[in-house]
Amino acid sequence: MSTSVVDPYLKAPEVAGYADVSFEEKRKLFEEVKQDARYPDYLYGCYECGVCVAVCPSARFYDFSPRRIAQAAAREDVELLYQQMQEDIWECSQCFSCLRCPRGNNPGGIVTIMREVAVRHGMASAREALEGYSRIIYKIMSTGTQVSPDMLQPDAFPDWGPEVADVSEHLKLWRRALPPETLHTTSTGWDVSDRTLLELYVIWLETGVLDMIREVDEGPADPAGPVGGRLREEVSCRSRWT
Amino acid sequence: MGRVVVIGGGPAGLAAATSAAELGADVVLVEQESFLGGTPIREHYASITPKMESAEEAIGRRVGAVEAHPRIEVLTGSRVTELRGEVGSFQLQVEGPKSQELSCGAVVVATGFQHFDPGRETQMYGYYEFPDVLALQDLEAMLKAGQVVRPSNGQPPRRLCFVQCVGSRDRRIGNEYCSKVCCGVASKEAIEVREQLPDCEVFIFYIDMRMYGYWESQIYWPAQEKHHVQYVKGIVSEVLPKGDQLLVRGEDTTLGRPMELTMDMVVLSVGMEPSPGTREMARVLGIAQNKYGFIEAADPPLDTVSTSRPGIFAAGAALGPADLEDSVSTGAAAGSRAVVAAASQPAVAG
Repeated sequence: MSTSVVDPYLKAPEVAGYADVSFEEKRKLFEEVKQDARYPDYLYGCYECGVCVAVCPSARFYDFSPRRIAQAAAREDVELLYQQMQEDIWECSQCFSCLRCPRGNNPGGIVTIMREVAVRHGMASAREALEGYSRIIYKIMSTGTQVSPDMLQPDAFPDWGPEVADVSEHLKLWRRALPPETLHTTSTGWDVSDRTLLELYVIWLETGVLDMIREVDEGPADPAGPVGGRLREEVSCRSRWT
Repeated sequence: MGRVVVIGGGPAGLAAATSAAELGADVVLVEQESFLGGTPIREHYASITPKMESAEEAIGRRVGAVEAHPRIEVLTGSRVTELRGEVGSFQLQVEGPKSQELSCGAVVVATGFQHFDPGRETQMYGYYEFPDVLALQDLEAMLKAGQVVRPSNGQPPRRLCFVQCVGSRDRRIGNEYCSKVCCGVASKEAIEVREQLPDCEVFIFYIDMRMYGYWESQIYWPAQEKHHVQYVKGIVSEVLPKGDQLLVRGEDTTLGRPMELTMDMVVLSVGMEPSPGTREMARVLGIAQNKYGFIEAADPPLDTVSTSRPGIFAAGAALGPADLEDSVSTGAAAGSRAVVAAASQPAVAG
């Protein structure tokens, strides 16, 4: 619980930039964090020594403190935790330098759980933070690769120099010059087989990642396109993927 | 072999008497109360830190050993009023049911401490004003009785806090020292409250938690990790009435925000001061005290029990704030040093 009635860290709803929700709703979000199987191994007790902040690269550039994450969780301060889920947790670089904690806490791990809960609930901060990334994830889902050679437009990366124009003009030729045949592609990073796509798709479907991403970005009707539809049918025919 | 007189029958005095007697000396133990065991018994401590064994049982065993020892004579309800002579040949005047002049070769002073009176110069915590403001020893007695309730209404508290360093580490009050045990004792009591009243939230407001040695993993970590006691770095400035509760104000320093919480019960972690008996014995025996009134060890840190007068040794919390380990250690050390001193030949007069 909070130790304060006047909290300078807590922002009023009108300046927070995200919707306020009921205390009960905030409590449920925290309960979900606490119920995570990893949580007991990520938070023991905090004596507020600050070593996690000292080693934290994000703390140097943002108003981010892994200590405050651990403290808010230890104190079960649901108001502060809600604000952290809407703001602070996206400033963590997930480098886990904070494992330096002498008590064996893992503030970065608590952030991981809080992020997952935020994404599952489609919280505003999760939408904003993943806006750029969800398209990349959809691209991986539909093509199996993230970066494709045809993204190399001559005007896209002027700092890459004049060679880029030449490469993009004769892209197919350059790609065919690469020894591995799987790299003779232009719209995908490499040749991805239907079998691989199927496996990736099933993993995303079964682990709930697909639903999770949908919470923050509707995306295309079906990320895997017509192939996806067929795969989805195939998967749903099985009672369980084993 | 010269006789040894031990003044004070608390944990340190019991240890001193036992060690001197085991080394073969005849010992007289002088205690002003009608019983042995000292402050833990007089103040009804529930259990002793850190192992949480019943104080009555643990200290009772030591008392039993002293009472059963053939070389130890116990004089309860008695006080030492005068000392003459020198090491190896002292005469002590003892007043009590069996008033007498005792000759002895050496003396151990183990007259202990008293709890800081939270009404002295720190009225802002309302110890004498609000019934639900207690001190550590008051809660000990409640825990011992298994009846932790608010004195104001007899109901179990739903939220309770400890305020650390009351009467310690305070230049204004004059007690600049740390009382050593209050962090551990408050944490121990916090665990016991959580065990007896699982629905009661427990907070500890502190300046620094001083859990040296094994107390860290024996008390502090379990209190935080297993019993979810909330440790907040920041000292409560005042306790105010709010409805039928108490409002505590302070700063939550590590979260950088002002703090205001309502409590059902506030427990003041009072420190140690020299007991009246310690002050009196320093005067009667003519041994040096430090500026706080505790007996000054003559050559610390490597000689903890000699005093300014040869043949007089001190032990336990008469020397300054001490936990039980320190008390019985200095007690045993003083007891054995006293046996050696008591055997020394007095200088020939003239």
